[in-house]
Order: sequence, then structure tokens, then C-alpha cells
Amino acid sequence: MTSKSEINLQNFYVYNSAFGQSDGEEDKKILFYYPPKTDFDTQMKNVGLSEAIVKFTDTFSSDQLCEALHTQKSRQLYYQAEGGFWMVMTVGIPFVTKVKDGTEYFEYQSDDVQDNVYLAVLRQSYQMFRLFKGSFTSILSNSRGDVIHLKHKLDHFFSRYLLTLKLNHSDILDIFQGIQFLPLDKQTFLHVQCFVNLIEATFAQVKYTAFLYNDQLVWSGLEPEDMQVVYRYLVTSLLPAHLETELQGGSMPRHPSSPFLSSHYGRFVTGPANLQDASGGTGKVPKVYVNNDATPEIYHLVVYRALSATVCLFIEGSLHLNLDLFKRLDIFLGPQLTTLVSEVAEQCGRQAAGINANSLDPSPKFVYFNKLNLAQKSTVHLDSRRTGNVAVTPEVLRLLADINADKARMSTTGETILKTMTDYWVVGKVSNLREFYVVIHQKNANLIEINDEVKRLSDSQLKSIFFHD
Amino acid sequence: MASKGLCQERNNTENEESEIVPDFEPGASLESMLVTTDSFEELEQEMDSSFDERQMKESTTSTISEIQEELHDTTIPEDSSSDQDDKLIENDEVEEVASQLSETSLTSNEEGNTAATPVGSLPEEEYWQNPEWKERKKHVFILSAAGKPIYSRYGSEDKLVTIFGVMQALVSFVQTNQDTIRSIHAGNSKFVFLIKGPIILVSVSRTTESVSQLVLQLTYVYNQIVSVLTSSQLTRIYEQRRNYDLRRLLAGAERLIDHLLNFMEREPAFLLGAVKCLPLTPSVRDSITQTIVQTCGKIKNLVFGILLAKNQLITLVRMKKYFIHPADLHLIFNLVNSSESFKAAESWTPICLPKFDSRFLHGHVSYLSDDCQACLLLLTVDRDVFFTLSEAKQKIVEKLRRGNCLEAINESVNRASYTASQVGVPEMRHFLYKCRSTAQFWSPALEPPYHVTEESERLLGLYQALHHRLHAASRPLKLLHQQLEKETMLGWVTSGFELYITFEPLVTKHSAINAVNKLLRWIKKEEDRLFILNAPTF
Repeated sequence: MTSKSEINLQNFYVYNSAFGQSDGEEDKKILFYYPPKTDFDTQMKNVGLSEAIVKFTDTFSSDQLCEALHTQKSRQLYYQAEGGFWMVMTVGIPFVTKVKDGTEYFEYQSDDVQDNVYLAVLRQSYQMFRLFKGSFTSILSNSRGDVIHLKHKLDHFFSRYLLTLKLNHSDILDIFQGIQFLPLDKQTFLHVQCFVNLIEATFAQVKYTAFLYNDQLVWSGLEPEDMQVVYRYLVTSLLPAHLETELQGGSMPRHPSSPFLSSHYGRFVTGPANLQDASGGTGKVPKVYVNNDATPEIYHLVVYRALSATVCLFIEGSLHLNLDLFKRLDIFLGPQLTTLVSEVAEQCGRQAAGINANSLDPSPKFVYFNKLNLAQKSTVHLDSRRTGNVAVTPEVLRLLADINADKARMSTTGETILKTMTDYWVVGKVSNLREFYVVIHQKNANLIEINDEVKRLSDSQLKSIFFHD
Repeated sequence: MASKGLCQERNNTENEESEIVPDFEPGASLESMLVTTDSFEELEQEMDSSFDERQMKESTTSTISEIQEELHDTTIPEDSSSDQDDKLIENDEVEEVASQLSETSLTSNEEGNTAATPVGSLPEEEYWQNPEWKERKKHVFILSAAGKPIYSRYGSEDKLVTIFGVMQALVSFVQTNQDTIRSIHAGNSKFVFLIKGPIILVSVSRTTESVSQLVLQLTYVYNQIVSVLTSSQLTRIYEQRRNYDLRRLLAGAERLIDHLLNFMEREPAFLLGAVKCLPLTPSVRDSITQTIVQTCGKIKNLVFGILLAKNQLITLVRMKKYFIHPADLHLIFNLVNSSESFKAAESWTPICLPKFDSRFLHGHVSYLSDDCQACLLLLTVDRDVFFTLSEAKQKIVEKLRRGNCLEAINESVNRASYTASQVGVPEMRHFLYKCRSTAQFWSPALEPPYHVTEESERLLGLYQALHHRLHAASRPLKLLHQQLEKETMLGWVTSGFELYITFEPLVTKHSAINAVNKLLRWIKKEEDRLFILNAPTF
């Protein structure tokens, strides 16, 4: 059998019918359309179809929003991001070439594209836009109703963002959009918290702080709904890109200011690359919009890193950042962070013993998610980059999302145990707002043995996660 | 065959797979009279657009022509005879057929009556403002590819012109992109589209059924139409006149469709693609079968002899080499259920079995007698043998009466069916058992809490959800155990059988496994009463 085609992005558009009401101005309702080279007629036709579909579903059930259109060759996801503003994403369904009775034909694998996963991807794209540009309604009210501003921002953001989508590796973690927490002992945790408090006390402009070690969160002052989006940005985009440049630059550079100063390893990820050189400016520091559901607040996101620790400072958006501020931050953060990092690293080293996660390891793998605090942990995924580095087959990953979709029928507590044709056992347990999935690959096991294995695993794993709730 | 497994009474109750020997298959037999394909798999293949052309072409190997050839011992040249035959079934003859059907269905049937009555003469907007109409659990709409209304399950289809127009527009828009629309999802509502040549069928459903299950139901509805009209007729009509109003030909079939939709919402047979048999002692069933075989043995062109009661099969006798598909049998059950008139007098009616052949068979349909509720259908390729079959039926009834078989049938029909509790597993509330090699299934009577319609529908919904996950095309499963809010469901698929069990929600894994073993043994013990283990031929 020939290899499968991929799940590709066919189109992505944002529209609001309210803007195209008057004759001759229908084109105004299309606020963004990808691919940009699509001819205008096709754009209008596709948006028209979407409007018709939304209206059609609305006539039968006005309380339920349209979510997806399934055709033989594609899947179209719908999301009403804000009142009247619809976002639509169309992905191609993978197919394989088969031969029957001597003729070749395409068999489309529509089960490979799961609605709950790709709806989550669409929702995330809106949340990421809102993080960096603010909500649609606030952009419009700031420009006094002028749609051009909104269109520019949509174009500026999505024409770059859409290129980073990794649709072939979307899975259940996209549904959770959770955060990996780092469980620390009380002492070290308090040290981190003191450090954060000290920063905020010394620098009044810093309103919120977040502290990460590698790609795990230790502390965040932001609301979980905002932190989950910032976290995803840091872990899948900003930090990996920064690490790339670090690696290319050779060995870890010490602070370039002076070889005589007791050196530290800190440097700005967003901010000036070289603190001595005023001509370099303050670098690119993104602005973020948080608290969007209530009153939006704007902050500069200054990210500072030393060895494996990352500190995010959310600084008043109305302030102008100058080099002097960065210098002071650097002097404050650098040495303290470097010391703190070694303490955290030591603690981590102790805990890491015993957690062995590689794809050849036959021991059970699991995924855990707690909706209350968005805590997430996965030994199914071997890193946080979401590039397909997983310890189970794609079929099993999809089964996890299937079990998640069935959750609605389970009320507050429930459990699913299933066995595939290839001797994979997958168990999903739901309890209040927590979900725990276990994957065991074992021939000749039976229901009782699997049940016992899962019990053992949840006792050992979930205890330590609960510790830091 | 599998008795070895039973004798190995091990104490180790843990490993359910080693306790039951791999080829343990209660109800299995070496021969089967039913076609045993996976209906969902069939559907997937049919839906592939590249097969559309193949379907719509007149099949050059018509099963009926085959049979006729054999009987006349001459090779009937394919093209000329099929043309002739079909020319004879002109549109007006088909209308005759339709009026025959409408006569047989005119007598009212209590069930589903409210569904069929049109909602007065409301203009269209009033449907949309009528919350009861909007909130029906499952609407079914049928329209032609040109958007002309053909059928609406609830409400009068000629008052719904706009919505039919919208549906047709959605279908054709997607077609212009060289694609086919399948479904739309909004919360727990699903809008499912099935395009079969010149006909579009749409289901608007708030149930928990999956898209493929809804498509299966629409396919049954389409097959019901075909069984009244034949598919070649259908294509030809639309080829000639795109705007033809199919309702003229479907006058009688509407009631059949209404009944079929209600039937599918209560019966697990459709989900399983299998048929349930009336429990009878093997000697009684054999003597009934032999009676039919001997009486009809001399009748040349008899293809199938079917005796059924209460939606269960008593016996099926067939012409050698030919098999009947469970889906066709389901349509026959539906036909018998929908018309009271068969009870009054014997009928001679054309029947098309879509899975068997694209042309008409002719059926002599009658109940055995006033005091026996079993219905006998004798299906033949020959249009002119009504009196022969009528005589044959009389003889059959006489012989059965003398052999006390009528009594035995009545007794089985009237007796309360086995219940799950009789198996002896307290935590088990209900189950479905399907034997894969014979496409037969068995399930016990519903006990509280499922004796109420609402609960029995919910139970069927649970089985549907279980079935959907186990038989998912791209990731099928062997075993699924789900602890839900009010029940724990267990589904197990092996090469020999499929088992779906409803337990009380807090059943332990140990009890569940013990239950499975005990149940399989019980079914094996009762297998010769619950299943038809041979495939008798004329």
C-alpha cells in the first residue's frame, strides 16, 4: 500500500456577515482569507457556503453552534470566536491509493481527522491571536469601528501563525492545552516564590511573573486561562527558537559585560541581546493582552533565561522600555537566578530517577490532565515540541481523543477500557475534572491484570501530582 | 466442535480468553442461509464516489435472469430479454404496483400513526415556529437531485419547499468542488446526507447515533424505495424527466418508510445486520421446514420460502446457490408489519429485494390461518403462478395443523421470552449475542428499568455507541468496557461472535468476566432452540 497523504491546511478565513450587509459591499464581510492568492470569487463562494451552513444548522437548533462540515475529501471546522465573528478552517483528509478490480482509486481516511482535536486547534489559534493583538471587539472599538485596522492585524498575525501549524501532529494535548508543572519540595518552591516576590517588590512596573524550569512551570501569577496560552507560546515557539540560536552560538556564553564581574549565565530572550551596545536598542519585546474576558490589560512580555530556568516578566504596557531598565533587571536577576537554578536542578535530578521515558520502553505510558489547574503530564509524548515524538502509534493517540469525546456520556466519574486488534490496551479514567489515560502494550493480558496495572500506576503517579495542587 | 472447551472446567476464572476455546461459537453452523457481510463495510465501499458509476449501470449479471435461464434451460440473450422485460414494466405498470401497495397499506395501523398524518395546511414558517416539530429527535427528508420534495417524516413535504431547496443547494455546491457532502455537526445535532443517484436523503438527528449508523438507516430507506420501484426504474425515470414528481409512484411506500423508521429505532437487528429467530424445538422447526420443502419442491421457480412471526424468523427455505441478505429480510419484516391487509386475505405482490437483484420478485403473502399469527411468503421469479402458490399454501397449512406445528408456533409466540435474569447472572441486565457465521442474533426480553419506551430507546442508544467504537473503520477494537453513568457496557468481538452486555454500573471486573463465561455457556446450551443451525434448500 502506498503511503498516506498528509493532513494539510486548505483554507482558513475569518468573516462577519454584519459587515457586508449593504449591496455592493458584500466583500467587506471577509476579514481575513488564506491562502491569500485565492481569487476573490472563490473566497466569496466559500464564505457564502459557510454562512448558509451556519444558517441551516441554526434553523433546526438555535442553541447549538455549528462545529464541523464533513465532506468526503475535507473537514471544515467552525468557531464563533466572538459574537458574529466566525472563524473557519478547512483541512484535507488523508487518503491512500488502493486498487480494486484493476482500477486505482483513493480511499479517504476520514476517521484520521477528529473534530474535537481540530476544533481545539482552531480555538487555540484565536486565543493566540487574542494574546498578541487583543480581542476583535476591542480592536474595533479602539479604531472606532474602522474595519481596516482589524484586517491588518488579522493579516499580520495569521499569515505567519498559520505557517507554524503542525496539523499532522495535533492530538489530545491540543484539546487539553494544559501546562506541565514541576513538582518541587517545599523548600525549593518557597525559594522560587520569594525570588518572584522580590522581583515584584523591587520593580514596581512588573505586575506578574512566571517561573519555568526547562519546559515545566513552577510558578505563575497570571490567571490560568491566560497562562495556558503564554505557556504554549513559550514552550512550542519562543524557547525552542531561542535554544536553536544558543546551540548554534556554541558553548554557553558567560555574561559579556566584563570577565572580572562574578559572572552569571543570564540573558534576555526578549529584550536587548547586548546590554552594552545602546545602538542595538531594546530588541523585540512582544506585547500581550491578558484578562480579555473582563477588562483587557496590556503588558510587555520580557523573558529572561539563565541556564535552564526562564523568568517571564509582565511589565506595564503603557511604559516605555529603555535600556537602563534592562540593565537593572539584568543585574538583579542574573546572579540570583543562576544560584536558584542550580538548587532547582538538584531537586529535579533526584526526582527524575525512575522516570524512564523512551519509545522502546515497554512499561505503561500515561497522560494526565486536571481541568481545575490545567496541570498536564504525559509520558506518551517524549518532548513538548509536538513534532510527533511519541511513544505510541498514531492509532492509539486517536483512541485517546475518542475516549475524551465519550466523556460527555459519563457524568462526573467513569472509565473506559479498550483493547485494540494489535494488543494495545488503553484505559481512560475520568474523575470530576481530572482525566487519566494509560496505554499498555501487552499480548495475552486480560481485563483483571490490566485493571491492576492501572491501579498501581495511578497510585504511584497521581500521588505526587496531587501534592502540588 | 467446541464441547472440549466446556469440559475443561478450570477454576481459573481470570483469563476469559483461555477459558473459552478460541473457536467456541454458540449458534454457529457450517452452512448459512443469510449473506454475512459487515453492513458498515459495505456501506463505506458503496459511498466511494468512484463506485457510483458501477452501481448505476444496469448490472449485466442479474440474479433473476440467471435463475430464469436455468429454469428454461436456454440462454436468454442478455440485452434483448432485459430490455423486453423492463419495457413491460412501464411507468404505468409501476403506478399500478404503487396503487396496489397503497391499497394494502390503507388499513390503519395503530403504531406510528401520528407520525404520518400531515400537519394540516400550515404554511412553511409555521413549522419553524413550532417547537415540537423542530425538536423532533430525528427528521428524515427525501428530495430529488433537482430539489423537488419527495418525503418528510414529520410534517407535509410540500410545505417545506424552502428547506429542501437549501439542502439541494448545499449538496450541489459541494459537488462543484468535486467533493461529496457527508454531514454537518452542531453540538449534539447531526445532519447526515446520503446521495443515491437521483435521490438525496437527509437525516437531522439529535440522537447519539453515529454518522455511519444514520447513513445505514438512510440506506435502508432508500432500499425500501427501491423495493417498491426497482433501481433501474428509478434511474430511468429521472433520466427521462429530471423534474418528475416521484411522490406519484411512492403513494403507498410512504407508510412503509414511516414504519421502517420507527422499526429501526426500536430493533437492534439493523445495527447488528442480523436476524432473530423464533425459539422452537429443533424437531418442530424441522418438520415445518420439511413440510414446506416437500410441498413446494415441485414448483419450479420458487426462490425463497419464508415463514415468520412477531419479527422473528421461523424458517427460511431457499433455492440452492442463492442466499438472502439480512437487510432484505428486514425489509420483508417491515412490509409484513406495515400492512394489516395481509391478515385478511392472501396477497400477490411484487417485491424487489435490493441486495438480491435489481428487478422484481413476486410474492404470495398470507398468514397461516386466523388462529396462527405466522406469515408465509413464497417468492418467485414467475409472475403467473399465484394459483399454484395459493394451493401450495393450503396444503402447507393442512400438514402443519395435522402435525400440531401451528400450536407449537402459537405457544412460542405467546410465551414470554427468556429474560436475562434466567441466565443466572444477577448483575447482567440485558445482552445482544450475534453469531457471525450465520448472521443470526438473539437477545432476551427487556426487564425493568428498560420496559419503558424511553429507557428501551436509551438502551439501544448505548448499544449503538458501543457498536460504533468496536467497529470503527480505521481503528476497530476487540474489547470495550465502559463504566457510564447508569450502566456498565461491555462489548467483545471475536472472529466467531459479537457479544454486547449491559451490566449494572458498579459491576466488578471479576463479575463481568464470570458473567461472560456463564452467558456463553448458557447460549450454547440453548443454541438449537434459539438459532437455525442449518440452511435448508428446495
